[in-house]
Formats: sequence, structure tokens, C-alpha cells
Amino acid sequence: MATIVVIDDDSDILDASSLVLKVHGFEVITANNPDDGFRVVKENSPDLIILDVMMNEPDDGFYLAQKIRKEGIKIPIIMYTSISQTLGIDFGANILTPVDEFVEKPISPDELISKVKKHLNAKAVK
Amino acid sequence: MNSLEPKRVIVIDDEEALRHAVKRILEIEGFIVKVAVNGTEGIKLATEEDYDLAIIDLKMPDINGIDVLKEIRKSKPNTICYIATAFASYDSAIESTKLGADGYILKPFTPEELISQLYKGIEKRNILLETERLRKEREESLLEVAFERTRLKTIINSLKDGVVVINIHGEAVYFNTAALMLMNLEYLPLGIPVVEHFPNEIASLLNSHFLNGENQENTFSAEINRNGEGKLFIEATLSPIKQQNNTLAGVAVILRNITEYKRLELAKSQFVSMVAHELKAPIAATIGFLEILNNPEMKIDDAQRFDFQTRSHSRLKSLLSMVNDLLDISRLEMNKSIREIRELPLNEIISEALLLCQADIKKKNLKVKTNYSPHGITVKADLHEVSRLFLNLINNAVKYNKDGGSISVTAEEKNQFTVVKVSDTGIGLKPEEQAKLFVEYFRAKNEYTKQIHGTGLGLSIVKRIIESYDGKIEFKSIYGEGTEFILYFPAVVIGG
Repeated sequence: MATIVVIDDDSDILDASSLVLKVHGFEVITANNPDDGFRVVKENSPDLIILDVMMNEPDDGFYLAQKIRKEGIKIPIIMYTSISQTLGIDFGANILTPVDEFVEKPISPDELISKVKKHLNAKAVK
Repeated sequence: MNSLEPKRVIVIDDEEALRHAVKRILEIEGFIVKVAVNGTEGIKLATEEDYDLAIIDLKMPDINGIDVLKEIRKSKPNTICYIATAFASYDSAIESTKLGADGYILKPFTPEELISQLYKGIEKRNILLETERLRKEREESLLEVAFERTRLKTIINSLKDGVVVINIHGEAVYFNTAALMLMNLEYLPLGIPVVEHFPNEIASLLNSHFLNGENQENTFSAEINRNGEGKLFIEATLSPIKQQNNTLAGVAVILRNITEYKRLELAKSQFVSMVAHELKAPIAATIGFLEILNNPEMKIDDAQRFDFQTRSHSRLKSLLSMVNDLLDISRLEMNKSIREIRELPLNEIISEALLLCQADIKKKNLKVKTNYSPHGITVKADLHEVSRLFLNLINNAVKYNKDGGSISVTAEEKNQFTVVKVSDTGIGLKPEEQAKLFVEYFRAKNEYTKQIHGTGLGLSIVKRIIESYDGKIEFKSIYGEGTEFILYFPAVVIGG
């Protein structure tokens, strides 16, 4: 059974996402700030991370993703965004972009599950 | 001088008979005649007033006629002077004209001889006066032109906008200091092509003016990097200058510094994207819940269904109040709201706000203490705005309080201000959070605030309202212990 860490400071999004993932049989661990997120990722060695880009500061999620990658953790990261266009951060052009896919909130349960499965399968193939 | 005016003649002669005879002849002819009995009186009279003609006797007991003439010339160069002499000879005639006389009159003379001499003198004087008038006129207009030029130059140089005039050969023929500053140039050489010195956008537009005979005025903005002084945004307007035959004579470039407008534009668009993000968060959460509620695969139980519905409802309510806050902010910003300034009893307004928060006060089991001065304290303000202000503050004091904590509201009149303090025993603010307290959409995020929803606009509305009445808001806060807001309402409301 795959384990997924969901990190978002919006507790409603956190609960809704984890419920959808649990119903589809995933093991879910949640965190609502970057520090807790980093800790649970290191402690639980999950198979995939879902991360909100904007927590306390506009790009907390982005820096957390970089921090995770610097630890040598290579599992897929899906990043939730809501205003990727207007943040002024050019994700695409940054060669250090440590994220596998950006998805825009809100995301439907079916879409979320299909994206999670896609990345888990890609990881399995590697 | 008007030629119809009677001419004025002064006769300077020590011989009384001659003076009278000349006076009579000339008065009959229509002249105004003045007489002087000797050289000294002659000089005095002829220099005090302006005479068209002077007849000066050559030999006078006090002063020689030639010396009298010299004195008159000094101050009245346009008075036509005749030397009258009984000893006329070729030599003395030459001598007197050499010394500045306009002619000589030979004694004795007939009235006709005298008058015809004088008329010649009048003609000469008219020419002299006309010449002088023209000279003066020319001098004055030259002065005026020179003055105009200096004035125009001073005006253009003191403009904050840059001005550069380029002729058809691409040479700068005029520029002011602001132009150099705005284009980050040290200097512009005059008389040689300078287009290459200009920022690229301006240079290429200048070329299109000259190459294609561009006829239109063009305005655009450009970014100029100034060495070590940051970026400058300028707006350049290029206007063709036409000659009379409608061919291009040159281009006038006007440069304006629009850096401040650009900065405001950026701040505004950052605000808009912030607003969009804040509005989207509750929508995303609610849609997330609804997707689950409507998805039969999710197989959720009734308790969970109820929980998600309640949370959706609360997110939508917070979305609504955020929209209301935004409307309030924009109303305050545009100064559109119609104010009704009245004496408002503070205790009533605060009680009303406390009443609106009653449910949450009970839920958290908060103690409320109010302490007003014995006489009713009032503020002069608009009811809607002041109610909003206190509702926001008291709502915060409730929302960010600890269970079983307390809220205290006091009011007193101090100097020229009504001072109101709203304090709570809530979670307080960390020093780094305090600096951002009044910033739109800033909400302290820490272990205590996780479950508290807010718009991040409440305090910024409070600040805008109190400052619009020339008042002030201050606060003291200790993290984990509580926060106190202190409001100063001025007793005198300007524009009220």
C-alpha cells in the first residue's frame, strides 16, 4: 500500500484530499506547515508528496520541495497551486524545479487519483 | 513728435532789443519763444526743458556762445542750435559748425531769413528725432528678444520633464538638464548626430521619423537603467516639428519620469493577485467538499457529511465577508461613501458590537469588562463606519482569545482626543508579526491561529477608518498573553 504525505495549511483542503486518497486505499499522513511536513517526510519515507505552494509565505511550498530534494529524496511531488501565473515565480524555466507536476486547485477527486496513480506508476517503472 | 505742435524756441542774447525783435517775429509765425538774457540763464533754461531750436549769441559777457552750445548739447542733443554772430566770416561759420552748431545766423537778418533758417532746422530736428525713435525701438526690441530667450531657457531648464529637440540631421539643437538625467546621459554634444546616445526605443523611433517622414506624434514608455541608482521608467513623446512648407524640420522629444506610477501599478496588480488567491482558497475548499459529498464512491457517513456541509458553509460565509470587506476598502479608498457625521454615544456602539459577538463570547466563556467615564463619551463620526470599526476590533478580541479569557473596553477623554482601548487576553503577536499587522491579507499564522478563519482585511479597514478621521491606532502585544489596541479620535472633526 502506497503512503502519501499531504502538506497544506488549509485544513479543509487537507481533510478533503486525505479522505479522497484514503477511500482509494492509500495510506495518508498530513501536515499543515512546512516544518511538520519536512519532518513527516523524513520520518515516514512516503511514496509520493502532495504539497501546497503557498503556505505562510507565498512560496513556502516551493522552498520545502527544494529542501526535500536536497535531502536526496527522489519520490514524486505534486504541487497544488492557485495562482501560479501571478506569483512571479517562473516554475517552468527554473532548472532546479524539483516538482513533478503542478495542479491547480480545486481538483476533482477523480483527477487527483489519476494524477497520483500516474506518478506512482512512473516511479514503479523507473 | 507731432509736427503740428507749435515749435519751441529759446533765444539766448545779451542784447535786449534783438531778443524782443526775434521773440515778436517768431511768435507771429506761431512759435513759442523763451528768452535768456545771458549765457548762464540760457544754459539753465535750455537744459531744464526741451526746446526744438536754440538761437545763441556768439559773444556774451559771461559765457561764450560756443560754450553755451556745448553745455546744451550734453543734455539735449536733439535741440537744433544756431550761433548768431555779427562778425560773420567764413572762418567763424566753419568754426561754429565744427563745434557742433547746426547753423549760423548772420546779424543783422531779415525776418524771412531767420524763419527760413529755422524751418530748415526743424526739418533736421524731425529727422534726428525719428532716427532716435527708431534706434530706441530697435534697442528695446533687441532687449525684449534677449529677455524672452533667457526666460524661455530658464523655464525649460527648470521643468522636471526632459526636453530634447533634434533637427533633421539627427543633431541635438536643444536639450535641458532633466532630459540628460532621465536618459542617464552625462552630456549631449551639440551639432553632431546624437541619435546613438539615446536609449534604443527612442533612437529607433527617431530614425523612423526621419527615414519614413513619420507624421504622427508617438508616445511610449521605456525602462532606463541608471548606474547604481536603480531603474527608471520614462514616458517619451516624440512630436514632429513642421516647417511652413509642411516638410519635417525636426523632432521634439518630451520625457516624463513615470517610475512612481509604475510602482503603484505593480502594487495594485500584486494586490489583485493576492485578492484572487484569497478568494479562491474558500472556493477551492468548498468545491473539494462538494465533490466528495456528490461522489457516491466516497461512501461517507452521516457525521462526516454533516461536518463537510458545516465547513463548506463556514468557508462560504468567510468568502462573503471577505467580499464585503473588499467593498468597504474600495469605498474608503474612493472616498465615495456618503458620511453622516454625528455625535455618537460610544457606549451604545460598543454594546452593540459586543451583542453581535455574544454567541462566540459565550462559546469561549469570555469575561467582558467595560469601563467608561461617568459622563457619556461621544465621538463625532459616521455611525456605519464607527460601528464597523468596533465590530472588527471586538470580533478580533473574541476570535483570537483563549477559552475563559477576558475582553476589556475602556474610553476616556484626554487632551483633544477620545481614547478608546480594546484589549484581550488572547494569543498575542510575535514581534515579527507585529510589523505586518495592518497589511492587507496578513494573518498571523501560528499554532493558535490554525483553526481561525479571517479575511486578513479587518484591521486594515479599522486603520483606514480611524485615519480618515485624522485619528490614530496603536497597539501593544505580547505573544501568548494578549493584545491591546488604542484608538485616538480627535475631538474636532475636519470636514465634518
